[in-house]
Amino acid sequence: MLEVEGLEVAYGDLQVVWGVSFRVDRDSIVAILGPNGAGKTTTLLAVMGLLPAKAGSVRFEGEELIGLPTHQIVDRGVVMIPEERAAFQSLTVAENLEVGAYTPRARAEYEETLAEVYEIFPRLAERRKQSAATLSGGERQMLAIGKALMARPRLLILDEPSLGLAPIVVEDIFGVIRRIRDRGVSVLMVEQHVEMALEVADHAYILEMGAIVAQGTGMELEADPRVQEAYLSL
Amino acid sequence: MRERAAWMGLLLLGAMVAVGLSVGNQHFLTLTIQTMILATLATSWNILGGFAGQISLGHSAFFGLGALITRELWLGGQAFPLAVMTAVIVTALAAFVVGIPMLRFRDIYFAIGTLALGVAVYITAGNLWPGISSLPAEVLRSYDFTGPYFFALGALVAAVCVSVWLERSRLGLGMMTVREDEEAAKATGVDVFSHKLAAFVISAAVATLAGSAFAYFSVSYYPNFAFSVIWTFEAVLVVFIGGIGTLAGPLLGSIFFILGRDLMPTDVDEFQVVFFGLLFIVVVLLFPGGLSQAAGRLLGRAGERSTATDRPTAARGRS
Amino acid sequence: MSQLIAQSIVSGVLLGGVYGLVALGLALSFGVLRVLNVAHGELLMLGGYLAFFAFREWGLDPFVSLPLVFVVMFGFGVLLYLCLFRFVTRTETHTRIKNSLLVSFGLALVLQALAVRFFTADERTISTAYSSEAFTIWSIRVPMVRLAGLVVAIVAAFVLEWVLHRTRFGKALRATSEDWTRAALTGIDVRRIYQIAFAVSAALAAIAGSMVSLGYSVSPSIGLGWTLKALIVVVLAGLGSMRGIVVAGVALGLVESLSSVWIGGQYREVTALVLFLIVLSFRPLGFFGRAAGA
Repeated sequence: MLEVEGLEVAYGDLQVVWGVSFRVDRDSIVAILGPNGAGKTTTLLAVMGLLPAKAGSVRFEGEELIGLPTHQIVDRGVVMIPEERAAFQSLTVAENLEVGAYTPRARAEYEETLAEVYEIFPRLAERRKQSAATLSGGERQMLAIGKALMARPRLLILDEPSLGLAPIVVEDIFGVIRRIRDRGVSVLMVEQHVEMALEVADHAYILEMGAIVAQGTGMELEADPRVQEAYLSL
Repeated sequence: MRERAAWMGLLLLGAMVAVGLSVGNQHFLTLTIQTMILATLATSWNILGGFAGQISLGHSAFFGLGALITRELWLGGQAFPLAVMTAVIVTALAAFVVGIPMLRFRDIYFAIGTLALGVAVYITAGNLWPGISSLPAEVLRSYDFTGPYFFALGALVAAVCVSVWLERSRLGLGMMTVREDEEAAKATGVDVFSHKLAAFVISAAVATLAGSAFAYFSVSYYPNFAFSVIWTFEAVLVVFIGGIGTLAGPLLGSIFFILGRDLMPTDVDEFQVVFFGLLFIVVVLLFPGGLSQAAGRLLGRAGERSTATDRPTAARGRS
Repeated sequence: MSQLIAQSIVSGVLLGGVYGLVALGLALSFGVLRVLNVAHGELLMLGGYLAFFAFREWGLDPFVSLPLVFVVMFGFGVLLYLCLFRFVTRTETHTRIKNSLLVSFGLALVLQALAVRFFTADERTISTAYSSEAFTIWSIRVPMVRLAGLVVAIVAAFVLEWVLHRTRFGKALRATSEDWTRAALTGIDVRRIYQIAFAVSAALAAIAGSMVSLGYSVSPSIGLGWTLKALIVVVLAGLGSMRGIVVAGVALGLVESLSSVWIGGQYREVTALVLFLIVLSFRPLGFFGRAAGA
């Protein structure tokens, strides 16, 4: 569904991503893992057209995404939830969900999607009129996911969904991610919470210093001694 | 490289002295004096805006104050050098006092704040000194361009010397660190506020010299004209067109500006402003290094440094 | 004396309404695009001339030409965005604000020079049949053409607030002003939002210009003065609410006219500027206290 090949990204003269390739198959959860500064977020931003790619290609269902403006990539069904406070603080919960369905494709199915989101996150329905700034950390992450679902994604990209959340909440969020996949949305996520991510991921990549150094199914990587030593503190 | 530049500077200075002693063409001398006054003012703005990175839009206040004090004392009977010295000291003190609150504002708030200050001072000057200031008959009788020419030349040399000294001193280096990144400067132990204040005061003192030269040169003008925002605008324009943060930038920009204005058709005054306004926009958007960078490239001197602060940068990202 | 004070309060409030109206546009471009347009006053000047010439050449009443002025200057705003400010908004916020200040400064010089060339340096005022009409309460004169400026400002503020809070486009605009990256990831076409917000900002400046040439006067050099007023108002009010901006505009008008009674007419501007510097020193971080439209 998503095929990234030989992607290279630089900030001015400083190259951060060196020829990264990975793929996300339909109805699967794929995780990109790695230490801070490995180029994970940079990769995602380049996929979303927020950073220019120096080289490589990003194809979604066969269509090249590089060169498209971000809002059109979203309209194709590739939706990303950025790290931390992805919802708009100055808007209410309901307003956040409304702008979430901004693309023409999403707007057409606004009512049905809204009902679905409120069904997945009943808490958001309760807090509909509240400003997003008043929500707790977990509720904010729910709103961020809910807002992304409003765009009717076919591929949902999450950047560090567990960041800054309490362990119980993290488990909830990963549960939700599974449910979203079961509804037919593929998921690509970047995580530092390696154990948890390997548990839900069908396939995972390890990114270090801007390059993929290992990949495999969640179970394969869990068994890989290098991964165990570097990330799983076993 | 540096030595060659120094020799070229001395050669140029010698030529300027020779011109002042021998050329009698009034139009040419007027242009040269105007260029030197503007170049001095631009160089002073460049110390604050180019070296320390603080975009001030109230610079005319110091130029005006310098002109006002010099003129009043001089025409009041003081010796001219004494009048200039008093003006420099008073203006520097004023800059010190005003700088303390103003420099708390960062970036554009500093720009807006100094603009407001400059306009307030301009209006006040107009209210307090409404009458025209003309040279008295006995001064006019002996008036020629030689005095103003050499004073303006001296002011410009002083301005350039201060800039050269700053470029090489710890103080100047600290200013440039502040320009590049205040937080980083703080982290490396640079006292950000005192460096900004030093730049503000030095810049004001040098601007005073330009004002004094204007007061010495002009036969008659309304005192508030020297406080007009136009002076700030011309200095900013010239510095950017010439190349901000460089030694040669303000000089090249001033020559280009005054000469260009003189060569353009005089029947449509506005055309000049339109031309320089558009050129300024183009420089800001496309050539942040200005003319001096372009000239440097032509001469094959890629080492000519330009400011990094105004170059478009990619969105600061995380990885 | 009290008669004089009452009269200057009324004139101050009426003029302050126009200050608010100018500031609305500036707050919009600054709040949404993070572009500081110091040529905002020149856009006001152009709007004023447009209304003036529409009246003189075609006999169009300034209230009839108001939509025309809006549309023409909206178009001019789109043009300015596409030719200039689009390039400024490509950089990160810090550079963006600085470069926009410089670019618009150059633009201001150009527009002013062109205005002198084509409109001459003369002061112009629209004098309609009703220009001298006024009503009087408790022997205080309220000129109709100046009252119009305040009314237009209030209407504009309410329309803007309605759009910002009740329409999908307005919500997207608020989202963009909070964080353009996240707005883009939400599927919002940020460039289009920028373009429209800037164009509306220019059109609002022009509407204010119409009111200025009707109730007061326009000349090519008025730009900087009006830009400063708008800046002062925006700093005073923050980018919080459109109503707040009109209120702050009225407050500035009041301060100015009272200071001209108590300190002297030639210091009214100076008082406002000094007041502004004092307020700014209490808020050295300026407008970013709150996000636009929150």
